[in-house]
Amino acid sequence: MLKNYFKIFLKIASKNRLFTFLSLFGISLTIMFVMIFSMTIAKITSGAGPEAGINKIIFSERVKTKSTEQATKGGININSCGRILCEDHLKKIKNAEAISMYSRDMWEFIFNGKYQKKILTQTDAEYWEVYNYNFIQGRPYTREEVINKANLAVITRSLKELLFGNEENILGKTVRFTSMDLVVSGVVEDPPETSQNAIGDLYFPYTIIVDSDYGNIYTGGYVVAFKAASSKQFGIIRSEAQEMVARLDAADTTKIVFLSGPYTQIEKMMVGYGDPEEYSIGISIFRYLLIAFAFILLPAINLMALNFARIHDRSEEIAIRKSFGAAGRVLRGQFLFENILMTLAGGAIGIILSYIIVALLGHTFTLSVSFQSNVPLTFSFNILVFVAALVTCLVFGLLSGYLPAVRLSRMKPAVYLKGGEL
Amino acid sequence: MIKLENISKVYRTKEVETLALDNINFEVKEGEFLSVMGPSGCGKSTLLNIIGLLDEPDNGKIELDGNPIMTYEDKKTAKMRNQLVGFIFQSFHLIKELNVYDNVELPLIYRKMAPSERKKKVTESLEKVGLMNRMYHYPSQMSGGQCQRAAIARAVAGDPKIILADEPTGNLDSVIGHEVMDILHNLNKNGTTIIMVTHDEILAKSTNRIVRLFDGRLVG
Repeated sequence: MLKNYFKIFLKIASKNRLFTFLSLFGISLTIMFVMIFSMTIAKITSGAGPEAGINKIIFSERVKTKSTEQATKGGININSCGRILCEDHLKKIKNAEAISMYSRDMWEFIFNGKYQKKILTQTDAEYWEVYNYNFIQGRPYTREEVINKANLAVITRSLKELLFGNEENILGKTVRFTSMDLVVSGVVEDPPETSQNAIGDLYFPYTIIVDSDYGNIYTGGYVVAFKAASSKQFGIIRSEAQEMVARLDAADTTKIVFLSGPYTQIEKMMVGYGDPEEYSIGISIFRYLLIAFAFILLPAINLMALNFARIHDRSEEIAIRKSFGAAGRVLRGQFLFENILMTLAGGAIGIILSYIIVALLGHTFTLSVSFQSNVPLTFSFNILVFVAALVTCLVFGLLSGYLPAVRLSRMKPAVYLKGGEL
Repeated sequence: MIKLENISKVYRTKEVETLALDNINFEVKEGEFLSVMGPSGCGKSTLLNIIGLLDEPDNGKIELDGNPIMTYEDKKTAKMRNQLVGFIFQSFHLIKELNVYDNVELPLIYRKMAPSERKKKVTESLEKVGLMNRMYHYPSQMSGGQCQRAAIARAVAGDPKIILADEPTGNLDSVIGHEVMDILHNLNKNGTTIIMVTHDEILAKSTNRIVRLFDGRLVG
C-alpha cells in the first residue's frame, strides 16, 4: 500500500510543479531556520574549550532582595551575586567539587593609537579548576596569591599578540590596567566564540579591586559556578544553596532574599535575566515551545491552504479509491503520508540550505544569546539537532495535512465520478 | 443476491426537493444480468449509488448477498464495497498516475492480502480481459477499449459477487463495445451478478432482464 502511495506522491509532485515548488520552498525555509538555530544552540550548550565540562556545572547569576516592613530604607534590588554572599556563604557549599566566583566587564583602552575593546574577568583561583583553560605559557594565580591581592594576570593568545607582538615568552612582563601594572603569570588559548561563561581576554584576581558593592551582602557583580562530580549532584547542590539563602533570609529581618538556581547552562538560557523570584523553568519551556509552535504554524497554515486547493485535483482519484473500498481513515492516512513525505523532502533541502548558509554567512549573522555574547551561526551536527529537524518536519506535515485529509476523506464519491455518473 | 424494499431517496437543496427514487422494490437473483434503462435524470445513477453503498437511502432497506444493511458507517460500507462490489464506469475512471497493474491492484490493496497473492490475482484479471501485454502501460498510452478492459479487470480483481456497470460501452465504438459486452457476458456465465445501466436497447436485450425507471419509479 505504501508503495502505491509513494508512486502517486512522486507522480503528483512532478505533475504539479508549481505547487510542489511552493510547498518545498516554505518547508525548507522553516527547517533551515530551525536547523541554524538548533545547531548554534547545540554548539553553545555542548561545551567546547574551557567549557568542555559544562554539563557538570551549574550557575547562580541573580539575586533579588525585597525590603520587609521592618526595614527603614531599601526597596527591590535585582543584581548579580554580592561578594560577601559569594565568599562567606555560597563558596562554602559542601557538595560541589569546586566553586568559583567571578565577574566580567568591558575593558576599553587605546593601544598604539587605536581604540580597543576587550573583556576583563576578575576571578578567584578556583576559576581555573571549574573551567578547563589550555595554558600555552605559565600558570594561573593561586589561592594564596588571590588572598594576598597579588597583581597578577592571565591573558589570552590574541591579547598577547596585540600587546606584545611576536615576542615568544612574555611571562613576567606587565600589562597596564587602569593605574595598575599586572604581571603576566600565564597565557591561555582564546575561548571559542560560542563560549557563554568562560569568557575574557584579561583575567586577574578579584581581590585586587575593591568593588563599590562590597558592603552589600547579597547583591553585587559576581556569578557563582558550581562544578559537580556529575549532574546527579545538581539537586543536592541546589538544595544546599537554597537552604543557605533561606537561613540568611530568616536571620535578616529587613530583607527577603531570592537566589536564582543554581541552573544548568540550558536552564539559564531559558530563564534569561529577570526576577529570580519569578523564575520558572516550566513556564520558560512552555513559552519557548509556544514560540516554536507559532513559528512552525504560519508556514504550516500556508501549506494547509495549498493542500485545500489541491483537493479538487485529487477528487476523481479519491472517488475511485472510495468506490473500491478505501475507508475515510485509510484515505486520511494516505494523504498524511504523502504530506509527510513532502515535508521530509523539504526538510532535507532545508538541512542542506542551513549548512550552506552557515558556511557562507556564519559570521555575518549572529545569534544574541546574552548581553556579552553575539554567537556566530555555527555548524554542528548531533543527534539532537537531527531529531529537532525530524520532529519539526513531522509536526509540520501533520499540522498542514490533517484538516485537508479530513475534508478529502469526507468527499461523496458519486459527485466526482462524472461522465457516466454512478 | 440483491433485495431492495421501499427504497426512497430525496435530494434537498435550499430551494427545492427532488424525489430521485420513489418506493423502489425489486430483487436481483444471484448470477442474473440485469439492465436498468430510462431517460436522463430518472434515477438510474441514484439507484446504482444506493446498491453500491455509495449513498444512503432516506427510506427503505437493502440486502446484499443475504446481509441486510443495518448501518452506513463509513468503515463498514467501505469493507462491503471492497468485498462484494466491483464498479465499471462510462469514462473508465482509471487513476492516470498509476499504470494498469497498479490500477487493477487497487481493490486488493485495501484488503489484508500478501503481495504475492495480489500479484496472482492481478495477473488472472488481466488475462481474463486480454491485457497482459499492457500491464505496465499508463492510461494515456492506451485506447478507449483497452482502458475499459483495464477497468473491468480492476472491477473483477477482487472476485466480487456483484458488478455495477454504468454505461460501460457509452464511450466506445460498436466493435469495441461488443468486445466489452462479451467480457461481461463471460463474467456473468461464471456466476457474477451484473447490473448494467444502458441507453442501448440492443445491449439491454442481450441481458437476462430489463428494469425501466421513470421519474424515480419502476415502470413496465
